[in-house]
Amino acid sequence: MRIRIVNLIVGFLFILMALAVFNLSVIQGRRFRQLSNKNSIRLLLQPGARGKIFDRNGMIIVDNYLTYDVLIMPQEKGQLEQTLLNVARILDCDTGELKKKFKAGFLASFLPVRVANNIEIKKAIALEELKLNTPGIVVQPHPLRKYPYGSLASHVLGYLNEIDHWRLSKLSDYGYKARDIVGFGGVEEKFDYFLREKEGALSVEVDHQGKFVRVLGFRPPQNGNNMQLTLDLKIQKISESALSGRKGSVVILKPDTGEIIAMANSPDFSPAAFVNKSKSLGRIFTDSDAPLINRAISGLYPPGSVFKLVVASAALETKKINSLTSFYCPGSLMVGRRKFSCWNTHLEQDLVSGIAHSCDVFFYHSGLLLGAQSIHDYALKFGFDKPTSIDLPYEAGGFVPSPLWKRMSRFQTWYDGDTANFSIGQGDLMVTPLQVARMTAVFANNGMLINPYVVQTIENYDVSSFHKKATKMPLKDSTLNYVRQGMRKTVSDPQGTASVLADLNVAVAGKTGTVQVPRGQPHAWFCGYFPYKNPKYVICVFLEYGGSGYAACVLTKQILFTMAQEGLI
Amino acid sequence: MKNSTWLILAVALLITCMGILSIYSSTSQKEGELWQIIYKRQIFWIILGVLFFLAMSRFNYRRLWDMTYFLYGLALFLLFLVVILGLVRLGAQRWIRIAWLNFQPSELAKIAGVIFLARYFSAKSASSIHHTAAKYGIFRAFILPSFFIALPVGLIIEQPDLGTGLIILFIFVAFMYIGGVRSKYLITISLIGVLLLPVFWHVLRDYQKDRLMAFLNPHIDPLGAGYTVIQSKIAIGSGGLFGKGWLAGTQSQLHFLPESHTDFIFATFAEEWGFLGALFLLFLYFILIRQGIKIALATGDYFGRLLAFGISLMLGIQIFVNIAMNLGLAPVVGVPLPLMSYGGSSIMITFISLGILANIARNRTTF
Repeated sequence: MRIRIVNLIVGFLFILMALAVFNLSVIQGRRFRQLSNKNSIRLLLQPGARGKIFDRNGMIIVDNYLTYDVLIMPQEKGQLEQTLLNVARILDCDTGELKKKFKAGFLASFLPVRVANNIEIKKAIALEELKLNTPGIVVQPHPLRKYPYGSLASHVLGYLNEIDHWRLSKLSDYGYKARDIVGFGGVEEKFDYFLREKEGALSVEVDHQGKFVRVLGFRPPQNGNNMQLTLDLKIQKISESALSGRKGSVVILKPDTGEIIAMANSPDFSPAAFVNKSKSLGRIFTDSDAPLINRAISGLYPPGSVFKLVVASAALETKKINSLTSFYCPGSLMVGRRKFSCWNTHLEQDLVSGIAHSCDVFFYHSGLLLGAQSIHDYALKFGFDKPTSIDLPYEAGGFVPSPLWKRMSRFQTWYDGDTANFSIGQGDLMVTPLQVARMTAVFANNGMLINPYVVQTIENYDVSSFHKKATKMPLKDSTLNYVRQGMRKTVSDPQGTASVLADLNVAVAGKTGTVQVPRGQPHAWFCGYFPYKNPKYVICVFLEYGGSGYAACVLTKQILFTMAQEGLI
Repeated sequence: MKNSTWLILAVALLITCMGILSIYSSTSQKEGELWQIIYKRQIFWIILGVLFFLAMSRFNYRRLWDMTYFLYGLALFLLFLVVILGLVRLGAQRWIRIAWLNFQPSELAKIAGVIFLARYFSAKSASSIHHTAAKYGIFRAFILPSFFIALPVGLIIEQPDLGTGLIILFIFVAFMYIGGVRSKYLITISLIGVLLLPVFWHVLRDYQKDRLMAFLNPHIDPLGAGYTVIQSKIAIGSGGLFGKGWLAGTQSQLHFLPESHTDFIFATFAEEWGFLGALFLLFLYFILIRQGIKIALATGDYFGRLLAFGISLMLGIQIFVNIAMNLGLAPVVGVPLPLMSYGGSSIMITFISLGILANIARNRTTF
């Protein structure tokens, strides 16, 4: 009896053992196979380099340079301390600090932990030598952004930072991961997908101490695509140095194609500060001058007198006035019961001199003849009230008011006084400097509304053909001619508002603007093109609280003078 | 039943061959000359073991009856020696170094205990020629033999070698059962044993407590006491149905699995040969144990019968405890897998035990 039970127990135990092995190796085999691989296979990520950015002449604007990160494999305690001690000695830092970093970064026993970033090449070599007898040290090359020209074109380029929650939630479907470095602002953000590198990985087999055994596989990292911009570094530099110290922006573009030659904003920031995580970073975000804002495309301002070009074209086109029409300017005009003043007493003014002298009374009359709705419609035809579709993020659309809008949103009637204000570019009208430059280009290129862009090629592939084609404006040649004459006279007439530009070697045509603001200095505008015959460039200068339009003219002169000196015109 | 000898030898040799393959595989990646020749040493021990097996199979087991007290005394003496040498050398030891080889007296104590118990429970009463364990009172059935067993077990646990100590205790309990001690005593003793468990807990050393806790939940301390169990389960599990192939087991080759050539050789084997290999190995062990029990059942001599049972159970318990430990079904106690694990003492004693078994099969017909 007892022997039978013993027999049974022996049989039962053997069956139990067989079942237990079956359970582990067949039923749960997959999971244990994965765990086993996790034990012995490690992925060492190999970061690639982000695409470089060049200007139109192939000069490098954004480059990469190699730095080295130090990673340490988790290992037995005593050995880990020895390793950290050795690493600390080479890095010349405190062991306790390294230990803290190791603890903070520890994820799993098979993943290396990053304990130091961006170490010098000398130290990296010393660590590589140390690796021979201290296991578990990994020195990983890590390319970083380099900005040889500092803050030059910083708003067009943008900067790099760790991905934020909002972007991650939108981009995770495209292979973005938490803690990825992505572009913020400028082409770095807009073209992040092209610029971004593809991480490579080395899968290696290691033993229980993390010692390397053999390489199992390797996927080389792929560098991001290089990119060529339409910017001309020299002109960009000239514009920025002219602008430095003031608030505002300068846009220079090609009137026939829309290529942005220079887009300068001030105040600006240093993208390199985000790479080294410098201490001034916090200030960039809290600065009330908003240095991160690309004023040329995101800043909204009333256009002031530069809007008179739109009103003049509209009035000519709708035949409310012609080249012989003239109004008398006594220094002010009564509209309804309110007196609208001119900035000067211009007496008899026709269209050309009205533009040249920026006579407000002339445009009050023209505007009242046109009617607010007409001005609104023509403003839209000139591309106001919506983004120019430039290939940069965060472009603002601006705003053009209309009687209907006022009725609908403010429940107020549109008065003639509003029309008078509207026709000299004051009031609720809001535009970006880029929109003004684009409007100016219409006169420089015989009535084509261009679509400005900054990216010419991606990895030698011309992407400019993907931009929207320029559209022909419904403007007669005569209309354009009259306005052009006015713009030229603005510069050439000794009484012209931009006469300070007359003594340049190049013939400039343009229009100034001075925007009255409720408080402080007025905004200053100048938009124009040069040379007068066969225009090559359109320029738009805007100074936030910069004084009268004269200040903008002076700045323009500074830029054009230097450009001429360097033979760039 | 003469072919019993050859069946036992064939099965044992097959198992040792699988052991050699696994030992070679798990040590081949290790650096140092000592590791590289370890499988050769095992082969040497196996050859020596086979010689002892053949010798023992021709050595009449009845003579062991007369040698019982000598063997028991020798085992006790060697265990004392271990303790004393440990005191002298200021460190716990399980070994005695004799000339150039290390000997583990606890292995000898196992077989000596089996012989001792076989003799004790097969003693005949003066009035009857029948065995009398069923008529024993509590003193003769339990207290007296447990005193004799407690001596070596205490010394072994003190070494500290909890595993071997517990195995001898298991054998003792099994012997009482097989030997025919009254059921009510067995039940009483089991109850007392259960009640004494908390006391026993306090006697344990810290590392032993850790191991028991880790057995209950290996993930309590994945890098400490639970590490071995987790790695062993990963090794067995990752083998899958067909295994990773010889010399291709990452768990043992890359040293994630500690003691991969001794206590955890089953995991090493199962990783490389898979479920089917492990099943084959279990089958061989089963044949061996089954053969032992068959021999016991066919033996009329009560001493021989109990001895054959005892040897089968001794091997069976070791096999079960070791494999269960590999599978995470038993706490990690240092018990080698007979015939597989590296270790001269274990191999020698196992072959000698099998030799005695073979001899019982040969000689019992003469009675």
